[in-house]
Amino acid sequence: MCFIRTAEPLEYHRSFLKENCRPDGRELGEFRPTTLNIGSIGTADGSAMVKIGNTTVICGIKAELSAPPSDAPDKGYIVPNVDLPPLCSSRFRPGPPGEQAQAASQFIADVIDGSKIIKKEDLCIEKSKLCWVLYCDIMCLDYDGNVLDACIITLLAALKNTQIPKVTINKETDLAEVDIEHKRHLQINKHPVSSSFAVFDDTVLIVDPTAEEESLATSVITAVVDEDDQLCAFHKPGGSSLSAEKLQDCITRSVTRHREVGKLIDKVLESTKASK
Amino acid sequence: MDQIETGSGSVLREYGSEQNLLSKPDGSATFLQGDTSVLAGVYGPAEVKVNKEIYDRATLEVVVQPKVGMSSVRERAREQCVRETCEAVLLSTLHPRSSLTLILQVVHDDGSLLSCCLNAACMALMDAGLPMGRLFCGVTCAIDSDSQIITDPTAQQERESRALMTFAIDSKERNVLMSSTKGSFSVKELQQCIALSQKASEKIFQFYRDSVKRRYSKIL
Amino acid sequence: MEAVYSCFREKLGQVILPGDVFCFDVSAVEGSAVRAERVICGPGLRRNGDEILVYKSGILRHKAPNLYWIDSQQKRYVPVKGESVIGIVTAKSGDIFKVDVGGSEQASLSYLAFEGATKRNRPNVQVGDLVYAQFTIANKDMEPELVCIDSCGRANGMGVFGADGLLFKVSLGLVRRLLAPQSEIVKDLEKIFPFEMVVGLNGRVWVKAKTVQQTLIVANLLESCENMTTQQRQVLFRRVAEGSL
Repeated sequence: MCFIRTAEPLEYHRSFLKENCRPDGRELGEFRPTTLNIGSIGTADGSAMVKIGNTTVICGIKAELSAPPSDAPDKGYIVPNVDLPPLCSSRFRPGPPGEQAQAASQFIADVIDGSKIIKKEDLCIEKSKLCWVLYCDIMCLDYDGNVLDACIITLLAALKNTQIPKVTINKETDLAEVDIEHKRHLQINKHPVSSSFAVFDDTVLIVDPTAEEESLATSVITAVVDEDDQLCAFHKPGGSSLSAEKLQDCITRSVTRHREVGKLIDKVLESTKASK
Repeated sequence: MDQIETGSGSVLREYGSEQNLLSKPDGSATFLQGDTSVLAGVYGPAEVKVNKEIYDRATLEVVVQPKVGMSSVRERAREQCVRETCEAVLLSTLHPRSSLTLILQVVHDDGSLLSCCLNAACMALMDAGLPMGRLFCGVTCAIDSDSQIITDPTAQQERESRALMTFAIDSKERNVLMSSTKGSFSVKELQQCIALSQKASEKIFQFYRDSVKRRYSKIL
Repeated sequence: MEAVYSCFREKLGQVILPGDVFCFDVSAVEGSAVRAERVICGPGLRRNGDEILVYKSGILRHKAPNLYWIDSQQKRYVPVKGESVIGIVTAKSGDIFKVDVGGSEQASLSYLAFEGATKRNRPNVQVGDLVYAQFTIANKDMEPELVCIDSCGRANGMGVFGADGLLFKVSLGLVRRLLAPQSEIVKDLEKIFPFEMVVGLNGRVWVKAKTVQQTLIVANLLESCENMTTQQRQVLFRRVAEGSL
């Protein structure tokens, strides 16, 4: 029985899932090929671009000086912003950021806080006077599902690539003096990696959904794991209910994915260092 | 402050709820968890704008209004969680091409805000008579620095915790419908929190039943 | 003989919530051997194979021999075929009137659906008029349609009305109580002073009494009946009857 993809998309996908595979030829537990490019934006302090299948996300980091927040005078802060422009998909209209972009920004902010990827005290230059603010602008160039995973990978790679200059405060003039010649890398403490899953018909769990699979799924789950096998986020914004075995399954797969992505990032960073 | 003991160590604050208190919305409810209080209003099924209508289901919009200030990215993330949970339980195919609007106003925030919003939303949807396949409730767990799990934490306990999780549990199979977490924790801790939330949800569903009984007591 | 299912019996007259399930165990049925298929589900209940699912919260009611439904308090009206409602004409476009019935979309009323109306003899209906009409088509997939004649072509009380008087909205539970055959509320109200009343199943009520004051009193009494028990209502009506005489 042949189902037409545009006329009956759900039946079309179901007929593949029955055979334990997916329309693009992947297994249920297989991620799309992931490629990473670091340092492509010259004007940013750190940048990275990641492609998971067709989904392309780029992250640029700009470090600026500012006064620390009054409730935490010895800490700097990180401001992530996820942008889903009309360029990446026809479902996004021009105008103010929609709910998906804002929810993604909040999710990334929570992951940064929760995983303690960077110690905010490291960003402080002088208590109550001066600190670094890292503006992380994450923009999706091509939306084919699984944007949250790509955002986390590209953010991690960009942060590892970021170099900020040394700043000293001149005691006499009380002004900051930036030494552009001497730059240092940021101290990255944890390496969180996220994995997204989609649930079909309340029963079948697939990994790394494409945009079409996401729109047909009854539920989407994202789990973020760091290298100590600690969960930094378990995000399931509603949808069909999840049993305990599926939950355990998601987490085991996330841990495997963490190893793969970790190796990929290390490999790319080494090759950029070698080429310099 | 009265607290509900649920036996296995999870303790919930004193709960309060009232339905049908606003005259204009089709359904309204207020939910109190200790000092945290949220007021919910539902309009629907009503007319929908042509660019927002879906041909085979109802369009659900959720607005979370904070107590002070304009709504920000944080409220949008909460709206997404509440909306997707409600969409999973509502039988929206019974009202195609119509709109359902759910407005949540935060009256006071003393911790466990997202779970209070979920509980108020469920009671308001029931009050409006919208068709629902099952009920849901929200439970928040916090893990403090000694790795103790606290259910239904206050704002003070939330600030001092190292991880905070909110789950929406459904009434039929007690499975997790929605999960939103902050901070880092181990898999075992996650499973323990889910088990505690499922036990606490029994008490909350019984509380729903008692509240609705009270509401219908005048005509019984 | 009433054969009430055992699984329903314990819940009859009690509050049940969405998500409660009644499953049928054929061996547990006493009396006549009535099978599960014979149960008629009213509003609030849905069949799902062998089970009956509840999707609204309310009180479970039963009418012999096998009709079950959930009695819930709601404010929003959803059009149902065959129900008589009060609508407000909002637009005239071509051959039909657009009527607001309080639902999720406006209903259409053809100008030929009035008694004695022909293509040359159009009914005298203006925008803003009140009409008492019945649904001929009302399902979730189509635009609802109203008619002001019955199947024989006679008006039968339907059509344009309301030259004076007051239109107000109450909850759906109250209108059902008002339209019940021996409604106590209507009987008690009649004793106070004479008035005209049109009750639509969409929660809209139109009243007209001799003076504007009396009209307002009747409207206020009906609106306040919602939240009162029978005794409180009778006390209130008695006080009003004594006060106005």
